[in-house]
Amino acid sequence: MLDLTQGQFVRHVVMHPFEGFEDLRWKKSGDMRIATAIVCLLFFQQLAYSRLYGFQYYSSYDKVFNIIPFFFRSFGIFLLYVVCNWAMCTLFDGEGALKNIYIVTAYSLIPYIAGSLIGTLLSHVLIKDEYIFIQTVEWIGLGWTVVLFISAMKAVHQFSFFKTILLIALTLVAMVLCIFLLVLLLTLFQQVLIFIFTIYTELSYRLRV
Amino acid sequence: MSDMKTSLKRMIAAAGAVVMMTSIAGSVSAMESYDPYSYDRWGDAVSSQVGYSAERFVDGKLIDGLAAKIEAMEGYDYDKEEWKQLLQLKEPQDIFIDHNQLMYIVDKGNNRVIVTDLEFNMVNYLDKFTYNGETLTLSSPQGVFVDPETDMVYIADTENSRVIKCDYEGNVDRLFEKPASEIYTQELTFKPEKVVVDKAGNVYIVVGSVTKGAVMYDANGEFLGFFGANRVEATAEIVVNAFWNTIATEAQREHMTKSTAIGFDNFDIDDEGFIFTVTESQDVETDTVKKVNPEGTNILHTIIDEDTVFGDHNPAYWSIYSKRSSIVDIDIGENGYINLLDFVHGRVFQYDEKTNLMFVFGGTGNQLGTFLSAVALESYDNRMYVLDSRKNGITIFKRTQFGEIVTEATNKYNDGLYDESEQPWRDVIKYDGNYRRAYIGIGNALLNRNEYKEAMKYFKVAISRKRYNRAFEGYRDQLLQKYLTPCVVIIIVLAVVIKVLQILEKKAIITFPWTRRRGG
Repeated sequence: MLDLTQGQFVRHVVMHPFEGFEDLRWKKSGDMRIATAIVCLLFFQQLAYSRLYGFQYYSSYDKVFNIIPFFFRSFGIFLLYVVCNWAMCTLFDGEGALKNIYIVTAYSLIPYIAGSLIGTLLSHVLIKDEYIFIQTVEWIGLGWTVVLFISAMKAVHQFSFFKTILLIALTLVAMVLCIFLLVLLLTLFQQVLIFIFTIYTELSYRLRV
Repeated sequence: MSDMKTSLKRMIAAAGAVVMMTSIAGSVSAMESYDPYSYDRWGDAVSSQVGYSAERFVDGKLIDGLAAKIEAMEGYDYDKEEWKQLLQLKEPQDIFIDHNQLMYIVDKGNNRVIVTDLEFNMVNYLDKFTYNGETLTLSSPQGVFVDPETDMVYIADTENSRVIKCDYEGNVDRLFEKPASEIYTQELTFKPEKVVVDKAGNVYIVVGSVTKGAVMYDANGEFLGFFGANRVEATAEIVVNAFWNTIATEAQREHMTKSTAIGFDNFDIDDEGFIFTVTESQDVETDTVKKVNPEGTNILHTIIDEDTVFGDHNPAYWSIYSKRSSIVDIDIGENGYINLLDFVHGRVFQYDEKTNLMFVFGGTGNQLGTFLSAVALESYDNRMYVLDSRKNGITIFKRTQFGEIVTEATNKYNDGLYDESEQPWRDVIKYDGNYRRAYIGIGNALLNRNEYKEAMKYFKVAISRKRYNRAFEGYRDQLLQKYLTPCVVIIIVLAVVIKVLQILEKKAIITFPWTRRRGG
């Protein structure tokens, strides 16, 4: 049973929201490369969504363009989630390893990315009165991803449903904490750098005199 | 060798021509003492062309006939200061151009109203008025209005707490004084600042101490009530206050601060009888410009968004030099154009009847075309008159060639003549590629002619999603009409072919290289 290649497993997982991830875990399947490719797709989806959307729906302020926020919205948030989830699951006796969490989280994003990309494509064909079709596609994608995501977390850690929900909530809290600490760290480093630079300028002035 | 020489000469000549052209272009904009600008779709300032150019500045000495009139007065003595200042304007507060193209200048410091024609030849001089045999004089008058129906002059005689209604000779017909009604809080003073009369003869007076709107009288001098009050802006503080108000007791409520809207400061009436009001305060954003119907409600929001900004956009709050506009005067010109005068920046903003910004001009300073204290604005034909109460004179602006083209295009466009407006709009773009409305105008003309693809291009440049959507819909219909039938035929043929191949494969007549045998 289920002698699937890695590629076929991706399709199996997406098409079977309730046992797909259990099968994935049972077969010890899942590919880091495919997962990484999906996260890259997430990055391009974010870009497309804000820059390539049909003009009649959305026009972005195109005088400045900064790609850093897009990196953060895709790779940043994803990696942060994976790390925080792993950190939390160790406290809850979850079974998932970092690699497994990485893979299943990426796999569960597929419908969202697909829905959003299809929506972006449709936005070049449909007029504003027909926005409901695009919205439907995007919402189905998002809803599907939510179902897959919960199922993935449940399978990878072998938790009950409610424990999964709790874990996800706690992971979100941990993510906020992480960002807070990161900002704090950055500001501190900045201050240290300024301090060192001040000493350097002071010394260089003295030396020159 | 000689070939090289000539080509070198040509290059030098070309370079010289380029330098000359740029210097000419530079000198054109250098004629104004400020950089003309406009606002783009995002509310960012972008450079533009001047729509109005300052022509000349007229002070008291340049009013023809004023000096002769003063010198002919009894007891005239040039060496005395009080006579000397009569030759000039002193803190003038208002100007008004009536239906006979006569300009009324309210000279507050000299307590008089000077009437001139538009070439500034004095035709009348109002400082003494007769009322039932008495002689009345003015005391710091601040506003004037002439009723086109009755030819009556209304003067807001501020420090005398009255509005004088008189004829052209200065014979007073009626005085409008502080209402005795209890609706008017009697502790308040009555200092009329501006006055307007509608077609029915109702008189509206802006009184500085009244925040409930303009004080309104009927034609017989009967007090009717207040008209067109501003709303209170919903700031966080006011929302919180309103919350406490609902749960406070009567006794507590008496000690709480009451939120009162700021009264408007100036107004004008358009040809249809709608009154436009402006509020000068820099602290409020709601109701700075209103179009009020006879019922007293603002109807400007039926044609524009609630958050439309009049005057300057995006004041830089981090800078002490950049402040929010403060609109002191409004003038409704021909074709319903709305002209606003910004006291803080000394700028005039001209909008069309649909409140699309057309031109911004003026500034603060001492040069021609800039102001120290701009207080009043009037427009007639292609000229704009701005009164400065510290320069004690009137600056006359004339519409430039660019302004004429834009005005022509705007008028045609607003009348729905899209095709006729296309050529002027194309000329506008030649002058100013930043002029967003030109792209919309051309786009609409193209849309009217069903040239959807071109229209889409123009609407995209103008960043007008709504219009782009309309053009896109038309474009898509065109494509569908053209390509739908062939597309459907191709799809059906493909479907049939695939089905046939599948059946053939099932019967093992053919095999595809990419299908694996199941269970094999």
